[in-house]
Order: sequence, then C-alpha cells, then structure tokens
Amino acid sequence: MIEFKDVSTIYDNDESIEILNGVNLHIKDGEFISIIGPAGAGKSTLLRLLTREILPHKGEVILDGVNLADIPSKAIPLLRRKIGTVYQDFKLLSAKTAFENVAFAMEVCGADRGEIEDDVPKILGIVGLSDKLKSFPHQLSGGEKQRLAIARALIHRPRIILADEPTGNLDLVNSYDVVKLLMKINELGTTVILATHNREVVNAIGKRVISIEKGKIVRDQVENGKYVI
Amino acid sequence: MEDLKATTKRVFNVGWTNFKRNTYLSMGTTGVMVLVLFLFSGLMSLNYLTSQIVSSLEEKVDVSVYFKNDASEEEISKVKSDLELLGVIKNVEYVSKDKALDEFKQRHAGDTLVQDSLAELDDNPLQASLNVKADDSSQYASIVTFLEGNKFRSLVDKINFYENEQVIARVQAISGGLQNWGFLFTMALAAIAILVTFNTIRLTIYSQKQEIEIMRLVGGSNWHIKAPYLVEGGMYGALAAAVVAVLFYPVAYFISPKIESLMPGVSLIGYFASNIIQFISLLFFIGILLGVTSSFVAIRRFLKI
Repeated sequence: MIEFKDVSTIYDNDESIEILNGVNLHIKDGEFISIIGPAGAGKSTLLRLLTREILPHKGEVILDGVNLADIPSKAIPLLRRKIGTVYQDFKLLSAKTAFENVAFAMEVCGADRGEIEDDVPKILGIVGLSDKLKSFPHQLSGGEKQRLAIARALIHRPRIILADEPTGNLDLVNSYDVVKLLMKINELGTTVILATHNREVVNAIGKRVISIEKGKIVRDQVENGKYVI
Repeated sequence: MEDLKATTKRVFNVGWTNFKRNTYLSMGTTGVMVLVLFLFSGLMSLNYLTSQIVSSLEEKVDVSVYFKNDASEEEISKVKSDLELLGVIKNVEYVSKDKALDEFKQRHAGDTLVQDSLAELDDNPLQASLNVKADDSSQYASIVTFLEGNKFRSLVDKINFYENEQVIARVQAISGGLQNWGFLFTMALAAIAILVTFNTIRLTIYSQKQEIEIMRLVGGSNWHIKAPYLVEGGMYGALAAAVVAVLFYPVAYFISPKIESLMPGVSLIGYFASNIIQFISLLFFIGILLGVTSSFVAIRRFLKI
C-alpha cells in the first residue's frame, strides 16, 4: 500500500518554486494507476519520491506503513529492488546485449552466474524477446527497447512498477504493445503506476486515472477512468 | 547469493572490462598518471640531490679547539671524552703538537722558506687541538659555549668558531632554505599532480555516468557500484607505475654522469639502483593509492541519493 500524505516538494531548496503542492493519495496493492498531466505538472516528481531519489519538503510518503524518509541510506538499494522503473528514454546500455542489460541489473545486486543464466532468458521470454538475447539496443525497434527495459525492471520480481512516459518515444502500435504488457504484469498482481501525458493510452487502459496540474491533484477517477476535459 | 570470492572476482572482472572498454580514455588517463609519477620520481631525485648538497656543505664545516702549551694530553683527552658525552658530536679528532707539525711540514714540503724557518726554531710552535664535527651545524654554538665554560677555560687557548661562524651560519641558511623550499615545492607539485589525476579519473568515470545511474536505479548497493571503479582507478595507477619503473632507470642512467660531473661523488643511478625494490614499491604504492583515492572521490558525486 502506498500513501502520500500532504506531500509538497520544492525545486532546488527554493521554497518559492513548488513542484508538488499538498498531494494526498492512496494506492492499494495490485492497482493500475495512470497519472496524467502536462509536462512540468509533477508526474515524474511523484515517481521519484517513491524511489527515494528525492525527499518531500513537507508531508510523508509511506510504503507498506514505512515512511520513506525514515529509511537509512544503506537500505535504499533494497527499496529500489522492490520497485521496477521504466523510462521514456529506455536507459539501456548501448555496449551491452539484451541479455547483458538485464543480467547487469542482477550482477550489481550480487546475484550469482547460475541465477542470472536461469532468470534472464525467462524474463526476456515473458516480454517476447526470446530471440533477441544477443541483440544490442541499436539492433532493436523502439517497442523492443521498451520491452527490454520492462524486462530489466521485472528481474527482481518487484511489487511495484513505475513507468515514466514509457510510450513517449513510441509509435501508436508499439505504445499499445507496451501498455498491454504493463496490464499483463498488473494482472499477475504487480502494482503499476504509469505517468503519461498521452490521453489515448490512458483511455485504452480504462483503469483509475489521477489528473495532476501545477503540482496538485485535480481529479481522481477511481474506476474505469477516462480522461475527458 | 555470491560469496566473498565470487564478489571479488566480479569486482575485478568488471574493473578490467571498464579499463579495456575505452582504450583511448584509459591510455589518456594512464598517460597523465605516468607524467604525475615521473614528477614524483623527479622530486625524489631533487630531494636526494638537495640532501647531498646539504650534507657535503655540512661535511666541510668543523670547529677546532686549540689548547694552551701547558695542557697535558690527559687533560685534552678528558675534554674529548666530555665532548663525546654531549650527544651532539659526530666526530672528535685529537691532533697532538707533533702531529700538527708533521702535517704542517707535509703541507709546505715544497716551500723552502717555511722549511728553513722551522729548522731555525728550537721548539714546536704549533698547539695541540681537537677538531670537532657536530651532527648538525646548528649545534656548534652550544659546543663552543660548553668549551668556554669554567671547567675548560684554563686549558683552551682559542676556538676558531668565530672565524667560521659566518660560514656556518651561511651553510645553515642554505640547508634550511633548500629543505624548506624543497618541501614547499614538492607539496605544491604533489597537490597539482593529485588534482590533475583526480580530474582525469573523474572525466573517465563521468563517461560511465549513465551506467552508474542505471545501477543505482536497479538497486545496486553502493559497494557493488563503487568497487569496480576503485579497481579501475587502481589499474591506471599500477600500469602507470610499471611504465615509469621501466622508463625512469634509463633516464637516470643517462643523466647521472652529467650530475656527477657537477657534483663529484653524487651518483643518481647508484642511489636508485641500490634502492630499486623500495623505489618501485613506492611507485606502485603511490600510483595505486592515487588512482583508488581519485576514483573514490570522483564516484561519490554520482552516488549521492
């Protein structure tokens, strides 16, 4: 369970520039949430609070009853292994193959070679990249790159997936592929939080939609949300 | 989960992969560290030469104590043993009246005027003396004060310290200046060398910024992220030390005779050859320490959460 309690963030210690302003939010386990809003509305900031890349200026971000501000620095990597992240720019390593990009996430967390060789092909199979194990990112299409990024996010079997504009660099067909994959992951019990400015994507998902503007939640449609102005 | 052996293996493998992945950048970083270590070697040579200059100057300075003619050998011997007990004396040499005369005659063997004048004298006109060498030229003043004390006043005729005082003060000023300025110069160059190395390694790590960012996002612990970069920094240092060790000795061999022609008895190659194990170990120690420390400081910036 995720809870935002009256959360405010400021830009670069300047209290006059608020990014989020008094955000209150409650997300149940297994939910699929779409956060929609224009660029600069605070969507990415909301996600970065969950990975503890930043701390709120005011308020509390609570995950499973634990205030994230109370987590010691040494425990942050463990928190991040519970949360998979996917980004618009994929953040793949161009000098590594698809297999190595996923294996890399396991290596830096101390997994042994046996575990890596068992798990990586399985996860690449789940995202439909079984035949691309040895391909480098530049040999993959945009949609394949994003599926590879999702595979990497899934490798630690996270309870939460944060997707920040995952369809931003994709055409319509690939965007729907990625969204379908995220929905499939959600059906298996993983909480998915998708930040996007793409109304078509949100409407296609048809689940809870939170609209955010100028750092404030302006609408929270709990069931079968459709973004309508 | 992996054990310590597997972790260490991974850290070294990744460090080595990072090192060889970007050949030009790695060679550039190693090249800068080679220059830095050459600078350190040059400073070590300079310190050695400075210390040789200072000790040869100090070697030339001594104080002679001349005794009255009625002072007996036993009394002079007592003065000698008392001086040795001071704990600041390097060497005291007793020169008897007869020995002083023999030495004087030898020095002026070709001078018939001096030889004839000496032959005309019934007595030996020279005085017995003690030639005193102190451990440090700054200690002569206290030795003279000791000799001028009441205990020996009746025996001592004169001390040539006052004639030599200016020379001694000058030697002290030169050695002090060489040591102080040499130390400051070494520290300033060492600081520049460290800054250059640090910035070069930081640039190298900056080129791997995206990889570090991804490692943080997927939950890599700081140790797992940091360790390969520390190994990489250490590898730059070790390779640079090996290159300097190979190049330095031929350079020292080439310039050593030129230095020896200016400063007879000072052999640069002899000094480094007799200390080869210590010198190469020191090069590796400084190189690896510099590389690892620079990597450690550089990567901290990218690990801020």
